[in-house]
Amino acid sequence: MREQLTQALVALLLIAAILLGVEFGVREGYLKAYEFPPASRIVQGFVELTTVGFPTGVTLWTHILVTVVRIAKGYVAAIAIAVPLGLLIGALPVLDKMTAPLVVFFRSVATLSLLPLAIVWFGAGELTKVILIGYGCFWVMLSNVIAGVKYVDPALIRAARSFKVHGWTLYREVVLPAALPRMFAGARVALGVGFMVIVGAEMIGTIQGLGALIMEARSFYRSEITVIGMLVIGVLGFLISSGLAALERLLLPWGGGLGETSR
Amino acid sequence: MRGGSRISSTFWGLAGIAIFLASWELATRLGAIDPTIFPGPAAAIRSAVQRLPASVFLDNMAWSLFRVIGGFVLGAVAGTVIGFAAGWYRGFGYLARPLIELLRPIPPLAWIPLAIIWFGLGEPSKFFMVFLGAFFPIVTSAYHGITHIDSSLIRASRSFGLKGLGMLFHVGIPASAPDLATGLRIGWGLSFGVLVAAELIAADRGLGFMIMNERNSGGSVSVIIVGILLIGLLNLVTDAALAALIQRWIGRWHGA
Repeated sequence: MREQLTQALVALLLIAAILLGVEFGVREGYLKAYEFPPASRIVQGFVELTTVGFPTGVTLWTHILVTVVRIAKGYVAAIAIAVPLGLLIGALPVLDKMTAPLVVFFRSVATLSLLPLAIVWFGAGELTKVILIGYGCFWVMLSNVIAGVKYVDPALIRAARSFKVHGWTLYREVVLPAALPRMFAGARVALGVGFMVIVGAEMIGTIQGLGALIMEARSFYRSEITVIGMLVIGVLGFLISSGLAALERLLLPWGGGLGETSR
Repeated sequence: MRGGSRISSTFWGLAGIAIFLASWELATRLGAIDPTIFPGPAAAIRSAVQRLPASVFLDNMAWSLFRVIGGFVLGAVAGTVIGFAAGWYRGFGYLARPLIELLRPIPPLAWIPLAIIWFGLGEPSKFFMVFLGAFFPIVTSAYHGITHIDSSLIRASRSFGLKGLGMLFHVGIPASAPDLATGLRIGWGLSFGVLVAAELIAADRGLGFMIMNERNSGGSVSVIIVGILLIGLLNLVTDAALAALIQRWIGRWHGA
């Protein structure tokens, strides 16, 4: 308790010191406001962004909504395909062996490297962005679903067998619940990938969305708006991933072995 | 038994790749997909090689590799040192943790505009982007590793008279190596993805630039497809090399 208090106090002081330092540095001319936007400008920019909007007419809320909807579309589509496919592959060893190198390879292809190809195929519009998010989320989710089903503790399965549980019942009552924590971990990592991909995808061919906001702001020398956009993306990602973690604890009280870094 | 199952997974794996390539090739031959916007593998490689000399591919590949390795090494060194120091020295931890926790949720690609503002469009901004991709997973895993050491190891080494830096180097770092290894692998993958994206958006060479330029100048889809495959292969091969290196390094302490 005391430790947390000290930490919070140090954190507050440190951040206040940095903000004041930048503010002072800009005022005295040591730092350029364009390179290091001071807090006072960031606050002004935030007010402008929420009332007038940047570019004019597109408020922060619109940018957030557009980005969240794009992520949600790609993410939901990816999960909806990856879960049944992963369950199937994980349950059939031969299929798993056949697809393993392909899954590894497609996961290794940097999602954004598909951007030029996706533009050729689907144009520079919405569909391209959603498909890229879907691609990135899909392979992460798929490999986690497969791993979840495949690496179920064999002792659990032997125990169930000795209770004469077989086939579909075994799958539903033992394998699936044991695989769920891993699948949830995959869903969290996939969401992180979605957030990563959207920022890059929005930097090209759109003026709506948080990725477009931070890139546009730079071209107009409004770096304080870039910083606001970055902070908003960070907070949004943090909130959603904490929400998923809370949901996981609620739905899967038997899980919990898989931490933040596991993949 | 082990050997047999390895042979059978290699066999089925190759069969899977062959089926994938064959159905891709067949789909273009039979006209199920339009070969002008999605050529088959053989046609794509043939026309990509005709369009650009191999030296162009190699040159862009070399630039991408140089950037990703340079930025990754910087990020890995900074991440490891800061992560270990934040976990080992309480005072430094108080200072470093809030900054890391504040910046970590920001996706690395969101730094591209600031990277350009601070470092311009040249090499330093690419290094900075790759650095960010590597730094956060590595600093987090180093910190996690050093703060989750089995306390009996610490007590045992203390009773042998180890303390301070000696304990850090002989017990702390070896014991947290597996965590760090996970972070290094994740960091490598992220660095690679970030680099490709940075090259797509703002660069004048590298594999990411090569494919984006091909599409902007109305060039050939074949070059784009071959470029994407090269990016995937490069990531795969370098990740395997990194995994082997890490295994040799931590194998000393944690078995094979």
